[in-house]
Amino acid sequence: MARVIVITSGKGGVGKTTTSASISTGLALRGFKTAVIDFDVGLRNLDLIMGCERRVVYDLINVVNGEANLHQALIKDKHCENLFILPASQTRDKDALTEEGVEKVLKELEHMAFDYVICDSPAGIERGAVMALTFADEAIVVSNPEVSSVRDSDRILGILQSKSRRAMEGREPVKEHLLVTRYSPKRVEEGEMLSYKDVQELLRVPLIGVIPESDDVLQASNQGTPAIHLKDSDVAAAYQDVIARFLDEDRPLRFVTYEKPGILKRLFGGK
Amino acid sequence: MADAPLQGKLIEFKGASLAVMTAHVRDTEAVRLADALHMMLGGMPDFFAGEPTVLDFAQLANIPERVDWTAILSLLRRYQVQPIGVRNLPETLHDGARRAGLALLGAEGLSAEQRVIAPPPAPAPVVETPPAAAPAPASSEAVNIVAPTLIVDRPLRSGQQVYAKGGDLVLLAGMSPGSEVIADGSIHCYGHLRGRALAGARGDTSARIFSTNFGPELVSIAGVYRTFERGIPQAVAGRGAQVKLTGSDNLHTLEITPLQND
Repeated sequence: MARVIVITSGKGGVGKTTTSASISTGLALRGFKTAVIDFDVGLRNLDLIMGCERRVVYDLINVVNGEANLHQALIKDKHCENLFILPASQTRDKDALTEEGVEKVLKELEHMAFDYVICDSPAGIERGAVMALTFADEAIVVSNPEVSSVRDSDRILGILQSKSRRAMEGREPVKEHLLVTRYSPKRVEEGEMLSYKDVQELLRVPLIGVIPESDDVLQASNQGTPAIHLKDSDVAAAYQDVIARFLDEDRPLRFVTYEKPGILKRLFGGK
Repeated sequence: MADAPLQGKLIEFKGASLAVMTAHVRDTEAVRLADALHMMLGGMPDFFAGEPTVLDFAQLANIPERVDWTAILSLLRRYQVQPIGVRNLPETLHDGARRAGLALLGAEGLSAEQRVIAPPPAPAPVVETPPAAAPAPASSEAVNIVAPTLIVDRPLRSGQQVYAKGGDLVLLAGMSPGSEVIADGSIHCYGHLRGRALAGARGDTSARIFSTNFGPELVSIAGVYRTFERGIPQAVAGRGAQVKLTGSDNLHTLEITPLQND
Protein backbone atom coordinates (compact mmCIF):
# COMPACT_ATOMS: atom_id res chain seq x y z
CA MET A 1 0.00 0.00 0.00
CA ALA A 2 1.41 3.37 -0.98
CA ARG A 3 0.95 5.80 1.86
CA VAL A 4 -0.06 9.27 0.66
CA ILE A 5 1.29 12.16 2.73
CA VAL A 6 0.30 15.75 2.03
CA ILE A 7 2.58 18.60 3.06
CA THR A 8 0.28 21.54 3.55
CA SER A 9 -0.06 24.82 5.46
CA GLY A 10 -2.65 27.21 4.08
CA LYS A 11 -0.20 30.10 4.17
CA GLY A 12 2.51 30.54 1.58
CA GLY A 13 6.22 30.84 2.20
CA VAL A 14 6.29 28.79 5.38
CA GLY A 15 8.45 25.98 3.98
CA LYS A 16 6.13 23.44 2.37
CA THR A 17 8.31 22.76 -0.64
CA THR A 18 11.53 22.71 1.40
CA THR A 19 9.83 20.24 3.71
CA SER A 20 8.46 18.12 0.85
CA ALA A 21 11.92 17.88 -0.67
CA SER A 22 13.60 16.94 2.61
CA ILE A 23 10.93 14.51 3.81
CA SER A 24 10.77 12.67 0.50
CA THR A 25 14.57 12.53 0.36
CA GLY A 26 14.75 11.37 3.97
CA LEU A 27 12.27 8.55 3.37
CA ALA A 28 14.08 7.51 0.20
CA LEU A 29 17.42 7.47 2.05
CA ARG A 30 15.81 5.09 4.54
CA GLY A 31 15.16 2.71 1.66
CA PHE A 32 11.52 3.46 0.89
CA LYS A 33 10.50 3.89 -2.71
CA THR A 34 9.16 7.41 -2.68
CA ALA A 35 7.51 9.78 -5.15
CA VAL A 36 7.07 13.49 -4.58
CA ILE A 37 4.39 15.34 -6.55
CA ASP A 38 4.28 19.11 -7.05
CA PHE A 39 0.62 20.21 -6.93
CA ASP A 40 1.46 23.87 -7.38
CA VAL A 41 0.34 23.93 -11.01
CA GLY A 42 1.35 27.22 -12.61
CA LEU A 43 3.92 28.08 -9.93
CA ARG A 44 6.24 25.12 -10.27
CA ASN A 45 8.99 25.18 -7.63
CA LEU A 46 9.73 21.71 -6.40
CA ASP A 47 11.87 20.88 -9.44
CA LEU A 48 14.16 23.81 -8.56
CA ILE A 49 14.50 22.77 -4.94
CA MET A 50 15.23 19.20 -6.05
CA GLY A 51 17.64 20.45 -8.71
CA CYS A 52 15.94 18.67 -11.61
CA GLU A 53 14.47 21.66 -13.46
CA ARG A 54 16.49 20.96 -16.59
CA ARG A 55 15.16 17.45 -16.88
CA VAL A 56 11.43 18.26 -16.89
CA VAL A 57 9.84 16.97 -20.08
CA TYR A 58 6.36 15.89 -19.05
CA ASP A 59 4.46 16.95 -15.96
CA LEU A 60 1.54 16.08 -13.70
CA ILE A 61 -1.03 17.67 -15.98
CA ASN A 62 0.27 15.74 -19.01
CA VAL A 63 -0.27 12.55 -17.04
CA VAL A 64 -3.70 13.64 -15.77
CA ASN A 65 -4.74 14.41 -19.34
CA GLY A 66 -3.29 11.18 -20.67
CA GLU A 67 -0.77 12.99 -22.89
CA ALA A 68 2.11 11.13 -21.30
CA ASN A 69 2.39 8.08 -19.14
CA LEU A 70 3.69 8.14 -15.60
CA HIS A 71 6.97 6.43 -16.49
CA GLN A 72 7.77 9.22 -18.92
CA ALA A 73 6.91 11.99 -16.48
CA LEU A 74 8.61 10.73 -13.32
CA ILE A 75 12.10 12.18 -12.92
CA LYS A 76 14.66 10.12 -11.06
CA ASP A 77 16.38 12.08 -8.30
CA LYS A 78 20.07 12.78 -8.80
CA HIS A 79 20.99 11.90 -5.20
CA CYS A 80 18.78 8.98 -4.24
CA GLU A 81 18.09 5.73 -5.96
CA ASN A 82 14.55 5.39 -4.60
CA LEU A 83 13.24 8.90 -5.17
CA PHE A 84 11.16 10.14 -8.09
CA ILE A 85 9.80 13.60 -8.78
CA LEU A 86 6.58 14.40 -10.62
CA PRO A 87 6.75 18.10 -11.45
CA ALA A 88 3.83 20.47 -11.83
CA SER A 89 2.97 22.10 -15.11
CA GLN A 90 4.14 25.70 -15.36
CA THR A 91 1.95 26.70 -18.26
CA ARG A 92 -1.42 25.56 -16.92
CA ASP A 93 -3.44 26.51 -13.87
CA LYS A 94 -5.02 24.63 -11.01
CA ASP A 95 -8.29 24.06 -12.85
CA ALA A 96 -6.43 21.52 -14.95
CA LEU A 97 -6.38 19.24 -11.91
CA THR A 98 -9.30 16.86 -11.68
CA GLU A 99 -10.13 14.53 -8.86
CA GLU A 100 -10.34 11.56 -11.24
CA GLY A 101 -7.01 12.49 -12.82
CA VAL A 102 -5.22 12.77 -9.49
CA GLU A 103 -6.76 9.53 -8.29
CA LYS A 104 -5.59 7.80 -11.46
CA VAL A 105 -2.01 9.03 -10.93
CA LEU A 106 -1.99 7.87 -7.31
CA LYS A 107 -3.42 4.47 -8.22
CA GLU A 108 -0.76 4.02 -10.83
CA LEU A 109 1.99 4.96 -8.38
CA GLU A 110 0.62 2.30 -6.07
CA HIS A 111 0.85 -0.27 -8.87
CA MET A 112 4.45 0.77 -9.38
CA ALA A 113 5.08 -0.35 -5.78
CA PHE A 114 5.81 3.03 -4.26
CA ASP A 115 5.90 3.02 -0.45
CA TYR A 116 5.28 6.73 0.02
CA VAL A 117 3.77 9.45 -2.14
CA ILE A 118 4.49 12.97 -0.88
CA CYS A 119 2.08 15.62 -2.16
CA ASP A 120 3.53 19.12 -2.06
CA SER A 121 0.47 21.34 -1.69
CA PRO A 122 0.23 24.88 -3.02
CA ALA A 123 -0.65 27.68 -0.61
CA GLY A 124 -4.25 28.69 -0.17
CA ILE A 125 -7.40 26.67 0.28
CA GLU A 126 -8.52 26.56 -3.32
CA ARG A 127 -8.57 23.78 -5.86
CA GLY A 128 -4.85 22.98 -5.93
CA ALA A 129 -4.60 22.68 -2.16
CA VAL A 130 -7.79 20.66 -1.91
CA MET A 131 -6.64 18.30 -4.69
CA ALA A 132 -3.33 17.77 -2.88
CA LEU A 133 -5.03 16.71 0.34
CA THR A 134 -8.04 14.85 -1.04
CA PHE A 135 -6.38 11.45 -1.09
CA ALA A 136 -4.07 11.89 1.88
CA ASP A 137 -3.58 9.22 4.52
CA GLU A 138 -1.39 11.48 6.61
CA ALA A 139 -0.84 15.21 6.67
CA ILE A 140 2.16 17.19 7.77
CA VAL A 141 0.91 20.67 8.53
CA VAL A 142 3.75 23.16 8.27
CA SER A 143 3.41 26.24 10.43
CA ASN A 144 5.66 29.18 11.29
CA PRO A 145 5.59 30.38 14.88
CA GLU A 146 3.46 33.36 14.02
CA VAL A 147 -0.27 33.96 14.48
CA SER A 148 -1.40 34.29 10.87
CA SER A 149 0.40 31.12 9.88
CA VAL A 150 -1.13 29.29 12.82
CA ARG A 151 -4.61 30.43 11.92
CA ASP A 152 -4.17 29.34 8.30
CA SER A 153 -2.91 25.96 9.48
CA ASP A 154 -5.98 25.66 11.65
CA ARG A 155 -8.14 26.39 8.62
CA ILE A 156 -6.41 23.76 6.51
CA LEU A 157 -6.83 21.20 9.33
CA GLY A 158 -10.55 21.90 9.14
CA ILE A 159 -10.51 21.34 5.40
CA LEU A 160 -8.67 18.05 5.90
CA GLN A 161 -11.44 16.99 8.23
CA SER A 162 -14.15 17.85 5.77
CA LYS A 163 -12.82 17.41 2.24
CA SER A 164 -10.39 14.52 2.38
CA ARG A 165 -11.62 11.21 0.97
CA ARG A 166 -11.12 9.61 4.36
CA ALA A 167 -13.44 12.17 5.91
CA MET A 168 -16.01 11.99 3.10
CA GLU A 169 -16.17 8.21 3.27
CA GLY A 170 -16.25 8.20 7.07
CA ARG A 171 -13.06 6.17 7.32
CA GLU A 172 -10.37 6.63 9.96
CA PRO A 173 -9.44 10.32 9.79
CA VAL A 174 -6.26 11.60 8.15
CA LYS A 175 -3.38 11.31 10.62
CA GLU A 176 -2.19 14.83 11.39
CA HIS A 177 1.33 15.96 12.28
CA LEU A 178 2.47 19.46 13.13
CA LEU A 179 5.83 20.69 11.88
CA VAL A 180 6.99 24.09 13.13
CA THR A 181 9.51 25.63 10.73
CA ARG A 182 11.66 28.77 10.65
CA TYR A 183 11.95 28.58 14.41
CA SER A 184 14.23 31.03 16.13
CA PRO A 185 14.80 30.13 19.80
CA LYS A 186 16.41 33.51 20.36
CA ARG A 187 13.37 35.42 19.21
CA VAL A 188 11.13 33.13 21.23
CA GLU A 189 13.29 33.86 24.25
CA GLU A 190 12.88 37.56 23.58
CA GLY A 191 9.14 37.17 23.36
CA GLU A 192 8.96 38.18 19.68
CA MET A 193 7.86 34.79 18.42
CA LEU A 194 5.39 32.16 19.55
CA SER A 195 7.06 29.16 21.14
CA TYR A 196 6.50 25.74 19.59
CA LYS A 197 4.50 24.90 22.69
CA ASP A 198 2.19 27.84 22.01
CA VAL A 199 1.72 26.72 18.42
CA GLN A 200 0.97 23.20 19.49
CA GLU A 201 -1.46 24.35 22.14
CA LEU A 202 -3.28 26.48 19.59
CA LEU A 203 -3.50 23.72 16.99
CA ARG A 204 -3.79 20.67 19.25
CA VAL A 205 -2.02 18.39 16.77
CA PRO A 206 0.90 16.08 17.72
CA LEU A 207 4.26 17.75 17.06
CA ILE A 208 6.54 15.87 14.68
CA GLY A 209 9.40 18.34 14.76
CA VAL A 210 10.79 21.84 14.93
CA ILE A 211 13.02 23.09 12.12
CA PRO A 212 15.26 26.01 13.08
CA GLU A 213 15.44 29.19 11.01
CA SER A 214 18.69 29.04 9.09
CA ASP A 215 20.52 30.57 6.14
CA ASP A 216 21.35 27.01 5.10
CA VAL A 217 17.85 26.63 3.67
CA LEU A 218 18.32 29.45 1.17
CA GLN A 219 21.71 28.09 0.22
CA ALA A 220 20.29 24.61 -0.30
CA SER A 221 17.44 25.98 -2.46
CA ASN A 222 19.84 27.91 -4.63
CA GLN A 223 21.95 24.81 -5.12
CA GLY A 224 18.96 22.65 -5.88
CA THR A 225 19.82 20.26 -3.08
CA PRO A 226 17.20 19.29 -0.49
CA ALA A 227 18.21 20.77 2.89
CA ILE A 228 18.37 17.33 4.50
CA HIS A 229 21.54 16.58 2.47
CA LEU A 230 23.50 19.49 4.00
CA LYS A 231 26.52 18.53 6.07
CA ASP A 232 26.83 19.89 9.62
CA SER A 233 23.56 21.74 9.42
CA ASP A 234 20.96 22.03 12.19
CA VAL A 235 18.24 22.05 9.55
CA ALA A 236 19.41 18.74 8.08
CA ALA A 237 19.65 17.18 11.54
CA ALA A 238 16.19 18.46 12.46
CA TYR A 239 14.70 16.95 9.27
CA GLN A 240 16.47 13.64 10.03
CA ASP A 241 14.74 13.71 13.41
CA VAL A 242 11.39 14.33 11.72
CA ILE A 243 11.89 11.27 9.51
CA ALA A 244 12.81 9.19 12.56
CA ARG A 245 9.70 10.32 14.46
CA PHE A 246 7.57 9.72 11.39
CA LEU A 247 8.83 6.12 11.44
CA ASP A 248 7.90 5.88 15.13
CA GLU A 249 11.42 6.21 16.48
CA ASP A 250 11.85 8.20 19.67
CA ARG A 251 13.87 11.39 19.26
CA PRO A 252 14.08 14.28 21.73
CA LEU A 253 13.45 17.78 20.33
CA ARG A 254 16.62 19.64 19.38
CA PHE A 255 17.40 23.23 18.44
CA VAL A 256 14.55 24.66 20.49
CA THR A 257 16.46 26.37 23.28
CA TYR A 258 18.48 29.53 23.01
CA GLU A 259 22.01 28.80 24.11
CA LYS A 260 23.29 32.09 25.45
CA PRO A 261 20.58 33.61 27.58
CA GLY A 262 21.78 36.49 29.73
CA ILE A 263 20.82 36.29 33.38
CA LEU A 264 18.92 39.55 33.21
CA LYS A 265 16.96 38.34 30.22
CA ARG A 266 16.05 35.20 32.09
CA LEU A 267 14.74 37.28 34.94
CA PHE A 268 12.79 39.79 32.87
CA GLY A 269 12.13 38.32 29.43
CA GLY A 270 8.53 37.13 28.95
CA LYS A 271 8.45 33.39 28.40
CA MET B 1 -43.78 -10.25 -5.31
CA ALA B 2 -44.46 -7.65 -2.73
CA ASP B 3 -46.15 -5.63 -5.42
CA ALA B 4 -49.61 -7.04 -5.02
CA PRO B 5 -50.46 -5.96 -1.47
CA LEU B 6 -49.04 -2.50 -2.11
CA GLN B 7 -50.92 -2.07 -5.34
CA GLY B 8 -53.60 0.13 -3.93
CA LYS B 9 -51.21 2.38 -2.02
CA LEU B 10 -48.75 3.92 -4.39
CA ILE B 11 -49.51 7.15 -2.64
CA GLU B 12 -50.86 7.61 0.79
CA PHE B 13 -51.94 10.70 2.68
CA LYS B 14 -51.37 11.10 6.35
CA GLY B 15 -51.53 14.02 8.70
CA ALA B 16 -48.20 15.24 10.00
CA SER B 17 -47.13 18.13 12.11
CA LEU B 18 -43.80 19.61 11.35
CA ALA B 19 -41.84 22.48 12.74
CA VAL B 20 -41.18 25.20 10.22
CA MET B 21 -39.33 28.44 10.42
CA THR B 22 -41.20 31.73 10.01
CA ALA B 23 -39.63 34.65 8.22
CA HIS B 24 -41.19 37.99 9.07
CA VAL B 25 -40.95 39.95 5.88
CA ARG B 26 -41.31 43.70 6.31
CA ASP B 27 -40.62 44.76 2.73
CA THR B 28 -41.47 43.23 -0.62
CA GLU B 29 -38.78 44.95 -2.70
CA ALA B 30 -36.39 42.15 -3.70
CA VAL B 31 -33.39 44.47 -3.93
CA ARG B 32 -33.79 45.79 -0.41
CA LEU B 33 -34.38 42.28 0.94
CA ALA B 34 -31.25 41.10 -0.82
CA ASP B 35 -29.23 43.85 0.86
CA ALA B 36 -30.70 42.99 4.24
CA LEU B 37 -29.99 39.27 3.83
CA HIS B 38 -26.49 40.00 2.68
CA MET B 39 -25.90 42.17 5.75
CA MET B 40 -27.32 39.48 7.97
CA LEU B 41 -25.71 36.40 6.46
CA GLY B 42 -22.86 37.80 4.35
CA GLY B 43 -20.49 34.90 3.98
CA MET B 44 -22.89 32.08 4.80
CA PRO B 45 -25.02 31.46 1.74
CA ASP B 46 -25.97 27.98 2.92
CA PHE B 47 -26.89 29.03 6.43
CA PHE B 48 -30.45 27.73 6.25
CA ALA B 49 -29.72 24.36 4.66
CA GLY B 50 -33.01 24.10 2.81
CA GLU B 51 -35.28 24.67 5.78
CA PRO B 52 -38.98 24.92 4.99
CA THR B 53 -40.12 28.43 5.78
CA VAL B 54 -43.37 30.32 6.01
CA LEU B 55 -43.24 33.95 4.97
CA ASP B 56 -45.23 36.12 7.38
CA PHE B 57 -46.29 39.51 6.08
CA ALA B 58 -48.09 40.72 9.22
CA GLN B 59 -45.47 43.40 9.79
CA LEU B 60 -45.39 44.66 6.23
CA ALA B 61 -44.65 48.39 6.34
CA ASN B 62 -46.83 49.36 3.36
CA ILE B 63 -48.85 47.31 0.96
CA PRO B 64 -47.46 47.35 -2.56
CA GLU B 65 -49.52 47.13 -5.76
CA ARG B 66 -47.82 43.99 -6.85
CA VAL B 67 -44.98 41.80 -5.68
CA ASP B 68 -42.21 40.26 -7.79
CA TRP B 69 -42.54 36.78 -6.32
CA THR B 70 -40.06 35.23 -8.73
CA ALA B 71 -37.34 37.58 -7.56
CA ILE B 72 -38.11 37.09 -3.87
CA LEU B 73 -38.27 33.32 -4.13
CA SER B 74 -35.05 33.00 -6.08
CA LEU B 75 -33.36 35.35 -3.61
CA LEU B 76 -34.47 33.21 -0.67
CA ARG B 77 -33.50 30.00 -2.41
CA ARG B 78 -30.05 31.40 -2.96
CA TYR B 79 -29.73 31.39 0.83
CA GLN B 80 -31.20 27.87 0.90
CA VAL B 81 -34.44 29.07 2.42
CA GLN B 82 -37.30 26.94 1.07
CA PRO B 83 -40.49 29.02 1.14
CA ILE B 84 -43.58 26.82 1.36
CA GLY B 85 -46.29 29.32 1.98
CA VAL B 86 -47.34 32.76 3.10
CA ARG B 87 -49.55 34.06 5.84
CA ASN B 88 -50.99 37.41 6.86
CA LEU B 89 -50.61 38.48 3.27
CA PRO B 90 -52.89 41.35 2.16
CA GLU B 91 -55.84 40.02 0.18
CA THR B 92 -54.84 41.91 -3.00
CA LEU B 93 -51.63 39.94 -3.27
CA HIS B 94 -53.12 36.48 -2.84
CA ASP B 95 -53.39 35.70 -6.54
CA GLY B 96 -49.75 36.40 -7.24
CA ALA B 97 -48.59 34.29 -4.31
CA ARG B 98 -50.79 31.40 -5.40
CA ARG B 99 -49.44 31.61 -8.94
CA ALA B 100 -45.91 31.54 -7.54
CA GLY B 101 -46.74 28.17 -6.00
CA LEU B 102 -47.00 29.33 -2.40
CA ALA B 103 -49.66 28.00 -0.05
CA LEU B 104 -51.91 30.58 1.57
CA LEU B 105 -51.91 29.75 5.23
CA GLY B 106 -54.41 31.03 7.72
CA ALA B 107 -53.64 33.90 10.04
CA GLU B 108 -53.42 31.55 12.98
CA GLY B 109 -50.14 29.90 12.32
CA LEU B 110 -50.47 26.61 10.55
CA SER B 111 -54.09 26.15 11.39
CA ALA B 112 -54.56 24.58 7.99
CA GLU B 113 -52.37 21.76 9.12
CA GLN B 114 -54.09 21.56 12.45
CA ARG B 115 -57.13 20.60 10.51
CA VAL B 116 -55.30 17.89 8.65
CA ILE B 117 -54.09 16.35 11.87
CA ALA B 118 -57.58 15.92 13.30
CA PRO B 119 -58.65 12.62 11.70
CA PRO B 120 -62.36 13.33 11.31
CA PRO B 121 -62.36 16.30 8.95
CA ALA B 122 -64.07 19.08 10.82
CA PRO B 123 -67.28 20.28 9.18
CA ALA B 124 -68.19 23.81 8.29
CA PRO B 125 -67.45 25.79 11.46
CA VAL B 126 -63.72 25.52 10.97
CA VAL B 127 -63.55 29.28 11.06
CA GLU B 128 -64.20 29.02 14.78
CA THR B 129 -60.39 29.08 15.03
CA PRO B 130 -58.59 26.67 17.30
CA PRO B 131 -56.90 28.33 20.27
CA ALA B 132 -54.20 30.55 18.92
CA ALA B 133 -51.47 29.26 21.20
CA ALA B 134 -52.00 25.61 20.35
CA PRO B 135 -49.78 25.19 17.28
CA ALA B 136 -46.71 26.82 18.73
CA PRO B 137 -46.03 24.60 21.77
CA ALA B 138 -46.90 21.55 19.74
CA SER B 139 -44.24 22.31 17.19
CA SER B 140 -41.57 23.24 19.73
CA GLU B 141 -42.15 19.94 21.47
CA ALA B 142 -41.62 18.16 18.20
CA VAL B 143 -38.32 19.98 17.79
CA ASN B 144 -37.10 18.85 21.19
CA ILE B 145 -37.78 15.24 20.42
CA VAL B 146 -36.13 15.07 17.02
CA ALA B 147 -33.12 17.27 17.84
CA PRO B 148 -31.17 15.93 20.77
CA THR B 149 -27.92 17.48 21.93
CA LEU B 150 -25.26 17.70 19.25
CA ILE B 151 -21.82 16.60 20.47
CA VAL B 152 -18.62 17.50 18.65
CA ASP B 153 -15.60 15.42 19.71
CA ARG B 154 -12.89 16.97 17.58
CA PRO B 155 -11.44 20.46 17.79
CA LEU B 156 -13.45 22.88 15.69
CA ARG B 157 -11.10 24.57 13.24
CA SER B 158 -10.98 28.06 11.81
CA GLY B 159 -13.60 28.32 9.06
CA GLN B 160 -15.68 25.42 10.33
CA GLN B 161 -19.23 25.92 11.38
CA VAL B 162 -21.61 23.82 13.42
CA TYR B 163 -25.29 24.38 13.96
CA ALA B 164 -27.17 22.47 16.63
CA LYS B 165 -30.65 22.76 15.27
CA GLY B 166 -33.35 22.77 17.88
CA GLY B 167 -31.09 21.77 20.76
CA ASP B 168 -27.92 22.19 22.75
CA LEU B 169 -24.39 21.94 21.47
CA VAL B 170 -21.51 20.34 23.37
CA LEU B 171 -17.93 20.90 22.22
CA LEU B 172 -15.51 18.43 23.78
CA ALA B 173 -12.30 19.69 22.21
CA GLY B 174 -12.83 23.43 22.07
CA MET B 175 -12.99 25.74 19.10
CA SER B 176 -10.38 27.83 17.32
CA PRO B 177 -10.43 31.48 16.34
CA GLY B 178 -12.36 31.95 13.12
CA SER B 179 -14.77 29.08 13.74
CA GLU B 180 -18.45 29.51 14.48
CA VAL B 181 -20.97 27.57 16.52
CA ILE B 182 -24.68 28.17 16.55
CA ALA B 183 -27.26 26.43 18.71
CA ASP B 184 -30.95 26.92 19.18
CA GLY B 185 -30.34 25.92 22.79
CA SER B 186 -27.27 26.43 24.95
CA ILE B 187 -23.60 25.97 24.06
CA HIS B 188 -21.32 24.00 26.37
CA CYS B 189 -17.65 24.20 25.49
CA TYR B 190 -15.08 22.10 27.33
CA GLY B 191 -11.83 23.73 26.35
CA HIS B 192 -10.98 26.85 24.40
CA LEU B 193 -13.93 28.95 23.30
CA ARG B 194 -12.25 31.12 20.68
CA GLY B 195 -14.44 31.80 17.65
CA ARG B 196 -18.00 33.05 17.48
CA ALA B 197 -20.62 31.41 19.69
CA LEU B 198 -24.31 32.09 19.11
CA ALA B 199 -26.80 30.45 21.44
CA GLY B 200 -30.58 30.72 21.38
CA ALA B 201 -30.44 31.26 17.65
CA ARG B 202 -34.22 31.05 17.30
CA GLY B 203 -34.81 33.50 20.08
CA ASP B 204 -34.59 31.38 23.22
CA THR B 205 -33.59 34.01 25.78
CA SER B 206 -32.93 31.41 28.46
CA ALA B 207 -30.11 29.83 26.46
CA ARG B 208 -26.60 30.20 27.86
CA ILE B 209 -23.01 29.74 26.81
CA PHE B 210 -20.58 27.88 29.06
CA SER B 211 -16.87 27.42 28.60
CA THR B 212 -13.97 26.16 30.67
CA ASN B 213 -11.60 28.49 28.83
CA PHE B 214 -13.29 31.70 27.84
CA GLY B 215 -11.93 33.87 25.02
CA PRO B 216 -14.40 34.18 22.13
CA GLU B 217 -14.45 36.68 19.29
CA LEU B 218 -18.18 37.17 19.69
CA VAL B 219 -20.94 35.78 21.87
CA SER B 220 -24.64 36.10 21.22
CA ILE B 221 -27.78 34.91 22.94
CA ALA B 222 -31.11 35.25 21.18
CA GLY B 223 -29.63 37.89 18.91
CA VAL B 224 -28.11 40.04 21.65
CA TYR B 225 -24.43 39.99 20.90
CA ARG B 226 -21.15 41.28 22.19
CA THR B 227 -17.66 41.55 20.71
CA PHE B 228 -14.45 42.03 22.64
CA GLU B 229 -12.55 44.79 20.92
CA ARG B 230 -10.91 45.86 24.15
CA GLY B 231 -10.06 42.31 25.15
CA ILE B 232 -11.82 39.76 27.27
CA PRO B 233 -12.59 40.95 30.83
CA GLN B 234 -9.79 39.94 33.21
CA ALA B 235 -12.08 38.04 35.54
CA VAL B 236 -13.07 35.54 32.87
CA ALA B 237 -10.25 35.57 30.27
CA GLY B 238 -8.92 32.05 29.82
CA ARG B 239 -11.07 30.74 32.64
CA GLY B 240 -14.37 29.03 33.17
CA ALA B 241 -17.21 31.40 32.44
CA GLN B 242 -20.85 31.53 31.46
CA VAL B 243 -22.81 33.99 29.40
CA LYS B 244 -26.49 34.58 29.99
CA LEU B 245 -29.13 37.10 29.16
CA THR B 246 -30.52 39.26 31.93
CA GLY B 247 -33.18 41.94 32.02
CA SER B 248 -36.53 41.78 30.37
CA ASP B 249 -38.23 42.42 27.05
CA ASN B 250 -36.48 45.28 25.34
CA LEU B 251 -33.69 45.75 27.83
CA HIS B 252 -31.71 42.55 27.53
CA THR B 253 -28.05 42.65 28.46
CA LEU B 254 -25.43 39.93 28.25
CA GLU B 255 -23.89 39.03 31.54
CA ILE B 256 -20.55 37.21 31.63
CA THR B 257 -19.62 35.68 34.95
CA PRO B 258 -16.83 33.35 36.08
CA LEU B 259 -17.81 29.77 36.77
CA GLN B 260 -17.03 28.46 40.23
CA ASN B 261 -14.85 25.47 39.50
CA ASP B 262 -13.63 24.63 42.99
